[in-house]
Amino acid sequence: MPPAPPPILRCDACFKEIANDDIFCAHCGYPIKGTKVEQSAFITKQNKIDFYKSGINKRTRERINKAGNTLFWLAGLFFLSATISFFVLKDNPEVLAVVIPYLVLGIVFLILGDYSKKKTLACFISGLCLYIIVQAIDLVQNPRLNLYSFLIMAIIITFLILGIKSAVEIEKIKKENNLS
Amino acid sequence: MQQVDNELPDKKPCIQCGTLIALDGNFCNQCGAKQFVEDHISAKKTWNYLTQTGLFYGISITACALAKYASIFETFSWGLFFDLILAINAIGFFAISWKENQKILQWKSFSWSKLAAYSSIAMAASVLVHYSVGWLNLVIYSKDDNYYEQLKGSIAGGLLVVSLTAVMPAIFEELGFRGYLLQTLLKITDKEQAVFISAFLFAILHFSFVSLFWLIPFALFAGFVRIKENTLWYGVFFHFCFNLTACIFELL
Repeated sequence: MPPAPPPILRCDACFKEIANDDIFCAHCGYPIKGTKVEQSAFITKQNKIDFYKSGINKRTRERINKAGNTLFWLAGLFFLSATISFFVLKDNPEVLAVVIPYLVLGIVFLILGDYSKKKTLACFISGLCLYIIVQAIDLVQNPRLNLYSFLIMAIIITFLILGIKSAVEIEKIKKENNLS
Repeated sequence: MQQVDNELPDKKPCIQCGTLIALDGNFCNQCGAKQFVEDHISAKKTWNYLTQTGLFYGISITACALAKYASIFETFSWGLFFDLILAINAIGFFAISWKENQKILQWKSFSWSKLAAYSSIAMAASVLVHYSVGWLNLVIYSKDDNYYEQLKGSIAGGLLVVSLTAVMPAIFEELGFRGYLLQTLLKITDKEQAVFISAFLFAILHFSFVSLFWLIPFALFAGFVRIKENTLWYGVFFHFCFNLTACIFELL
């Protein structure tokens, strides 16, 4: 009969298997044979890092959700503009020249919003640039000073920029871990 | 324990104390030293790359928008001036990271058959786009656009049109978008997303809703060719042939 296997030793911090003569855990660096003070200092530091990481994750997720929803809201806004301008200009022969660009914009933002679940960064950057260009052309062609519309513009741009920042953080993590 | 000198060692020396430790260990089990070097490209640096591309794109788009929408800039010489600004912008940003970017200016995989294939794809696509865009413009805007009407007829005028609409954009748009922009985006994200972003930004720079449907596939194709062949020049020729065909339609 073979002798019973020795009990498996586990690290107190990460619970990975360790050897009897290890001074430090090979996986997380926990001082197995260190003093109580060293060990508790290590645990405290590790907890802080975990807390920080989970905070980043939560904030990142929220911002990405908001930016994705902004793309859908923009799609809705352009579809609404298409419908309104269609009924206002119904008898004008140039009606298609106004309605079709709005429709195309609506469709493009809808696609960007849906595709942003897979290709987050690409869709947010594309959406932001398209939105800024459309607004800029609109301002050049119909100059006006409307505080309310500027406020909405600022909110939309802020959401999208925060989304891009978060997407960049995720891309960085992906690149570091060779996930892509 | 003696190290066996075989082909696949299962131990590595600790970078601090030299003790042999497990190959997949993150820390030395004797001295506690960390065994991997952390990546120092911070999120801030990535963000800086992104704002730099934003500056490049902002300058490009301002020049294009002014040339197209501001009525005081509608003269031919102002058009030339904005073309010059776009060219300088592309060259300048491309030169910022010259050391990394110069490798895509090399043409190691040169082959006549590939060049002929890309050129014929470009010409076929251009013919297709010419007829479909003409039809779409008639349907939506009830008009038939014809640019450079006043330059038609003379050989010098024809050459000027060819150099302004085929040669200049082919070189400088490729240098700016498939060169600088794509190279910088590749540092931030993966190939697919980088090609997609550069293609989309390139397409909306032309301020035409009707043209979006062919500009995006065009730019995606040019982007993937650039990545696959690892050189800018196939894209330049592709772009040149495409624009040249369009140009010949305008001149005839």
